[in-house]
Amino acid sequence: MYLFSTNDFRFVPRPYAIGCWAFGMCCFLLGWNQALPEKSSARNYIDRHIESVAGERQLSLVPEADRNVLIRRLSFDLTGLPPDPEWYRYPARPNGTIESLVDTLIASPHFGERLASMWLNVARYAEDQAHQVGNNVEHFYPNAFRYRQWVVDAFNADLPFDRFVKLQLAADRYSFARDEDLPALGFLGLGPKYYQRGRLDVMADEWEDQVDTVTRGFLGLTVACARCHDHKYDPISTEDYHALAGIFASVELVNVPYEKSKTKSEQDKEAKQQNTIHIVRDAKIRNLNVFIRGDVERPGPAIPRRFLSLFYEGTPPPFSEGSGRRELAEAIASPDNPLTAKVFVNRIWQMLIGQGLVRTASNFGALGEKPSHPELLEELAARFKAQGWSTKKLVREIVLSAAYRRSSEPHAAGDDLDPDNRYLWRMNRRRLPVEMWRDSLLSVTGNLDRQGGRSLELNDPANRRRTLYGRVSRLKLNTLLAHYDYPDPNIHSGGRTSTTTPLQKLYLLNNPFVAEQAQDFARRLQQETADDLERIRKAYRYLYFRMPAEEEERLGLEFLLADQSDSSHWDRYAQTLLISNEAFYLD
Amino acid sequence: MKDPRQLPPDRPVTLSRRKMLERSAAGFGLLGLMNVLGQTEPDDKAPGHPAPRAKRLIFLFLNGGPSQLDTFDPKPHLKKMEGKHPEGELYKPSKATGFLPSPFAFERYGQSGLEVSETLPELAKEIDDCCIVKSMQTDVPNHEPALLQMHTGNIQPIRPSFGSWLMYGLGSANQNLPGYVVLRPSSKIVVGPALWSHGFLPAKHQATSIDTSDLRIDKMLTDIQNKRFSLDEQREQVGLLRKLNRLHRSQREKDSVLEAEIESMETAYRMQIAASDAFDVSKEPAQIREQYGATSFAQSCLVARRLVESGVRCTVVYYTTKSNQPWDTHVDHDAKHKKLCRDSDRAAAALIRDLRSRGMLDDTLVVWGGEFGRTPYSEMRQKDKGPGRDHHHTAFSMLLAGGGVKKGFSYGQTDELGMNVVDRPMHVHDFHATLLHLMGINHTALTYRYSGRDFRLTDVHGSVAHDLIA
Repeated sequence: MYLFSTNDFRFVPRPYAIGCWAFGMCCFLLGWNQALPEKSSARNYIDRHIESVAGERQLSLVPEADRNVLIRRLSFDLTGLPPDPEWYRYPARPNGTIESLVDTLIASPHFGERLASMWLNVARYAEDQAHQVGNNVEHFYPNAFRYRQWVVDAFNADLPFDRFVKLQLAADRYSFARDEDLPALGFLGLGPKYYQRGRLDVMADEWEDQVDTVTRGFLGLTVACARCHDHKYDPISTEDYHALAGIFASVELVNVPYEKSKTKSEQDKEAKQQNTIHIVRDAKIRNLNVFIRGDVERPGPAIPRRFLSLFYEGTPPPFSEGSGRRELAEAIASPDNPLTAKVFVNRIWQMLIGQGLVRTASNFGALGEKPSHPELLEELAARFKAQGWSTKKLVREIVLSAAYRRSSEPHAAGDDLDPDNRYLWRMNRRRLPVEMWRDSLLSVTGNLDRQGGRSLELNDPANRRRTLYGRVSRLKLNTLLAHYDYPDPNIHSGGRTSTTTPLQKLYLLNNPFVAEQAQDFARRLQQETADDLERIRKAYRYLYFRMPAEEEERLGLEFLLADQSDSSHWDRYAQTLLISNEAFYLD
Repeated sequence: MKDPRQLPPDRPVTLSRRKMLERSAAGFGLLGLMNVLGQTEPDDKAPGHPAPRAKRLIFLFLNGGPSQLDTFDPKPHLKKMEGKHPEGELYKPSKATGFLPSPFAFERYGQSGLEVSETLPELAKEIDDCCIVKSMQTDVPNHEPALLQMHTGNIQPIRPSFGSWLMYGLGSANQNLPGYVVLRPSSKIVVGPALWSHGFLPAKHQATSIDTSDLRIDKMLTDIQNKRFSLDEQREQVGLLRKLNRLHRSQREKDSVLEAEIESMETAYRMQIAASDAFDVSKEPAQIREQYGATSFAQSCLVARRLVESGVRCTVVYYTTKSNQPWDTHVDHDAKHKKLCRDSDRAAAALIRDLRSRGMLDDTLVVWGGEFGRTPYSEMRQKDKGPGRDHHHTAFSMLLAGGGVKKGFSYGQTDELGMNVVDRPMHVHDFHATLLHLMGINHTALTYRYSGRDFRLTDVHGSVAHDLIA
């Protein structure tokens, strides 16, 4: 066990940082192999924490969800796709345990896609810029998809998260990095390029984006707040900010060839462009002067490139290797860093449970929210590191807990004591992110094209690939994504809001893509069986993973039989099922 | 001393969240006052609440913080103090070049003789219908928290917006359109949807936000029409959908989000007819469109007028351009301010005139303002550009018109340099209290029980500025 092994970096919390929960180190882990309490619903260590906190608050936990509800939940959470209708009889199959289903789902190539769709928002992934002068596409990223593919592959291969961090910051500086890992640098290399770049104040804005994305994304710290003045709430000085910004000031965003062209004739401009990746490399190495109050015209003292001082006693050692990206990556991905693992396990928790243990997933500082279960967060993070930073193992532990398996149905006492379900006495009912809803449509109609690769436009009805592979624009975000709360890809996002508006519903009622999927769904059902009732039952199983109630069958038949001369009835019925609340919500 | 956290004893009984959701599920359209207090018509006075003076609200929100010193709060003394540095802890001279007088001439206009800057010649003509509040104050001079406070009363992004409180209290006046609409001429608004969020209020009280950068109906409201099915065919379909969604919901403990999804679908269905008309400025006579001006913001003001005319309760029009906070004039303030005023001035004045000519100004409250004002002293961020003004939160101006406010009236005063308020301060909480009062709501009685306590838009603060009410 290498829980507290150290490498080059030794972090000693400074006295004032100790007061802030996020910088603490776990010291209660001695009991982590203790037996689960008897007569409890606990399934693993996670539940020990959940039960103990709920007990303190006199919240009674709701029972576990129905098996089919759970299977549907697992399928969406782990692959972003609806369950295979065959799994409906899953318990009857040999070895048909939930554990084996979870293992199947985690081993699926769609697992990486699911995780990537979370991570790409953290990385503010996009393929163009917010500003475009005329038709100039010089600063766009037509091959951004290579970074996206790398992220998908990394999660599928269960690349240890510490390496995942290191490759995204400095793949060009690690001997363990393969050629195929270079697109990882897209994390930095796909950053926004602002209008009139080249001007010092504009470049300073770009460095701020990099500092912001790296520190909120990996550390849950809002370091960019310290650009103009010391951070008002966290122990982060404007010197700290400029020490990090100096790293990015020493780096340039470049398009470099990815796969070498085979023949000379292929080396025309277009082919070259097709084969580039958008990454970073070290440029002229420089230290930044503190820009007083953020003003590039008022340089203060020069600050050596280095990590944040809150992690050290005294001034942190300066970085000396090129821009310092590798040293930065080492500091962030060190097992001694008290934040990195916690921030990531919390993101995974948020993705699977619907809200983070810390609900401000990208702000673990003083203005962020305190964790609902601090000891659980510590133990998750410690085990995550002890298990080789394995995302798959972490995900497996969470979804096999009783906490995850719980029903989302509230009870009155819980609703009164804890209406937000902060203490997880039940599972959260969740609306599917737009990607999953669109993918589930394509999936139930049988239209889903499972290829990845170069991005396609999402508003092209002929695009039947997963939503993850749709183009993401900073200039003009796709309407479907914009309607359904996809975060602004100009900046890092730590999570999504969920709005309900009539504009979303207009899309469902009238958009040609939805209409077309409805027709195809109807065709599929009509081809599979001749009997309307049987079709209805199949539709419910495909879409909602359950059998319809009698009332639902009756309503369906009534609608379909109303006017048999009209062949559009099945289309409209199919559409109704596709756009119903149940198609959007996970119990 | 009276505990300020004590609610007044005459507070009407507030139903628990559970009770209200049950009511809502039982088919009542509205959760708010109209239901809770048995009010049938929105213009009826509800017991414990003031008589409404305004039925509708249009908030013209100038993103970035417009300068009060160059619009409605002239400070001739700045001329004498030009270049001198301000004193006091809050105002550290950093890159400040000292006090900066406004280069713009102020004149007295109308019967009221209120002073208005030459940058707002059109609004100046309407000043007799307006009330200038010179004594606005907010807590934090940073955009995000100040935007949140102006919209939700709180600097953290979890509270319901004022529009959501209005919807909760008054309900919609038109079931065929969303009751609370946000018009934004660009896709990016700083802070974003948290500014028009329902927070912990039932989800149906959130705003519908519309990108007005392209005013064609099918661009503003994509998919407003079905190309294959008639409305009758769709009615059957939506009817089935409603039944299925209600079955789905009935098997689950009352969930305001599922309820909101259902209502929002029905609004969408009805919007297909109503919205095509209400949002379509091309149906306006050319001379009306011309009066407002050609810019996105101006035409959005016209959309807002059409919306309130159709019964939309609360409309917020954001003034953004390619820049998401154009009024944030840190650099080259004078030139930028002049340019921004030209556009907003004409549109705001046209809106006031238009509402008046339709007899709607008396019961429509129009608000013109931003998240804070700008400093009386300057800053130099770029040597090659003119000086700018920084964020100023301790004294700034808002303009109100219609909706029961005194006409040609000036409320509150600032010191001779415009640094602080010296008379009748109007904190954002007071502003919200007054706004609710004008809409017929006692701000201390519009509460929502959440997580074990009663929440209000004004938290434990706020007093109504009765002096500015006609």
